Amino acid sequence: MTSTSLAAGGRRRSARAMLAGLAFASLTALAGPAALAADTTTIRVLNWEPGGADYWKALVAEFEKQNPDIKVELETVPFDRYPEVQGPYITTKSGPDVMENNAGLELFDRRRAYAELPPEVLEAGKDLITYSGGCLNFDTTKACYGLPFGYQGNVMYYNKKVLAEAGLDPANPPKTWDEMGAACEKVKAVGKTCLAIGLSGIFPAYWDFPEIARNYLTEDDMRAMLAGKMPWTDPKMVNILKGLASITEKGWTNSSAPSITMLPDGADIFQSGNAAFAGTIISDAVNWAAFGKVLGDENLGAMRWPTLVADAPLANSFSGIESSVFGVTSWSDKKDAAFKFVKFIAGKENAELLTKIAGGISLNKNVDPSVMPKSQALSQILEIIKTPTLHAGVLLSGQEADALARGWQEVALGRLSVEDWTGRMQKALEQSPSKRQ
Amino acid sequence: MAETANLATAPNRMAKRDPRREGATGSRRVFIRKETLIALLFVLPGLALAILFKLVPLLRGIWLSFLETRGFEDPTFAGLANYRTMLADPSVHDSFRNALIAFATLPVWIVLPLVLAFLLFQKTPGWKFFRAAFFLPYMIAPIVVGIMFRQILAPDGPLNAVLRAIGLAPLAIEWLNGPTSALLALTAVALWSFFGLGVLTYLSGLSTVSEEVVEAAKLDGAGFWRLLFHIIMPLLKSVIGYWAVLCTSGILIWMFPLIYALTKGGPGTATVLPEFLVFTTTFQFLDRGLGAAIGMALFVFVAIVSAFVVRRMYVEGAQKK
Repeated sequence: MTSTSLAAGGRRRSARAMLAGLAFASLTALAGPAALAADTTTIRVLNWEPGGADYWKALVAEFEKQNPDIKVELETVPFDRYPEVQGPYITTKSGPDVMENNAGLELFDRRRAYAELPPEVLEAGKDLITYSGGCLNFDTTKACYGLPFGYQGNVMYYNKKVLAEAGLDPANPPKTWDEMGAACEKVKAVGKTCLAIGLSGIFPAYWDFPEIARNYLTEDDMRAMLAGKMPWTDPKMVNILKGLASITEKGWTNSSAPSITMLPDGADIFQSGNAAFAGTIISDAVNWAAFGKVLGDENLGAMRWPTLVADAPLANSFSGIESSVFGVTSWSDKKDAAFKFVKFIAGKENAELLTKIAGGISLNKNVDPSVMPKSQALSQILEIIKTPTLHAGVLLSGQEADALARGWQEVALGRLSVEDWTGRMQKALEQSPSKRQ
Repeated sequence: MAETANLATAPNRMAKRDPRREGATGSRRVFIRKETLIALLFVLPGLALAILFKLVPLLRGIWLSFLETRGFEDPTFAGLANYRTMLADPSVHDSFRNALIAFATLPVWIVLPLVLAFLLFQKTPGWKFFRAAFFLPYMIAPIVVGIMFRQILAPDGPLNAVLRAIGLAPLAIEWLNGPTSALLALTAVALWSFFGLGVLTYLSGLSTVSEEVVEAAKLDGAGFWRLLFHIIMPLLKSVIGYWAVLCTSGILIWMFPLIYALTKGGPGTATVLPEFLVFTTTFQFLDRGLGAAIGMALFVFVAIVSAFVVRRMYVEGAQKK
């Protein structure tokens, strides 16, 4: 063997060794992510992003930090379009691993789409002020399908600047229906809308109806509503409709009310400084934090809706409900990871993120009060929520919520009497699958 | 006599059987069988797709309309109960009445794009710009169009501001609040979004019209409207028929995204069309059986209306031949 051939053989060997090394390197490089992918479970979470994008970004980051083997993919849908996106998923029994729903009837209606929460996940509920809205018939001894994280409910926000402009005392907003009427006359006199409102979609049912209902119903009446045993022809229910009708009949609202939605259109009117009052919610969106950011915290106040019947047992209560609940879908094949997410949602870490980033009001009892932002409207809200009652809005079926909004639109336009509206509501109740006896 | 002659010639014909000819007939039969087989093979995928994606869902829809569905619980057989509920439901009546009112605007849908297309065809000043401008709205997603017009048509929106500014304040109405104005506004927005396609369709038809014919009519003193109605329209009958069918389905079953973004069917049920009702009944009220029943009624309604228009097209086509 010559030196040349030896050298050639050596070159060939080293070339082979290099090739083998390259192949090994590329194999390990490929196997790395593959192994990682095999160890990581990706769960899809259908949500309407309560609390805003920043909060959800932080929530996902924190969860993934705590659970490096789980990756979260969000499918975010606007709140008013959520039922239309979720409906087909449930009908076809396919789609996300975790879903969000409003606590109460909305969740109960869809319980077939959810897996019952196991005891180890429900344990997280013990740290919450309440989680009954995720359990059948608001009863924690029955099957529970989801856990909440934030407290939600209705208040009326007011723009102190507009009140002052109208010659009203911003420190003393109206407390009764008559005072509200007088205030509205003054606000209208300065060319502004008194109460910004949008009657399209589901907002009248969730945001306005409960506030009038508290003046006429007891908690037992509300439970009867949930069971479909409270007819709309009952004088108490008729009075609620009359109360709602009076808002638009008295001319307190923007003229576009019958054809716009409260979110975003109605809220925009208030945010732009063109309205004195807006009835929205305490958490998630269009709340004290969002309005305060635009109007200035110093210009924003929060109050209970003015009372129609001052001595009604619930007139000075707060219509509160778990903001929304998260549960695991019955068809998910990644239930363990999905349950971990649901448990995290109800946990302390998420509660502090909600308070710090979204300005939300958490249900978790272990949140450090010092992390709460400083705002006068928030302080007012924290006082208001001390006397909670059931939220009548979440007890309405889809049919009732729809008939309520459409009926109110027509009443506002003078094309429907309250009597006929009552008839429609009763029909909607009778056609509600979830309330059929 | 002729019969006798035939009888007489028959055996001759039998006797004169040409084996080559017989062979040719046989091979032609084989060829035809082969041709039929190939044709069937070509048709089969399409047929399978049509059965899978058209017929099966339709049959499932019919079956679902006979079921009672309580939320998301398992359905039970309900016979004609959903159809009875549908017939007694005022919102269903309202939706079909609204559909008929919207359908009554069909002549505008047909004539307006034709007029505009003819103006472009005549190379009216600025025609190149308008040809692009007319088609632009068709390229905007209907949901975006809906959101856009919700702002434009608001009581204090830009449309009313312009009307007030040019001294037409009485016309500055609350477009989306009135029962008739809301439905007509919705239809007008749909037309705005859709007419560009009509202009383009008519332009392609007009490209087949001989310029000599138009010039000759002009020399005979025909003005724009006479030209349009007496020369162009008869020449474009089949294109008009095609466009009419497209518009019919556009009005009756393609308005959903606009309703959704613009009015949500309100105020009240003023702009609820049957397709929107199918959607809300099925997915918001979770009553899939009733939703399917309304869907079937809509299917029959559209089929009847479209059959009328399509039949007109075929009649025109046959006359042309």
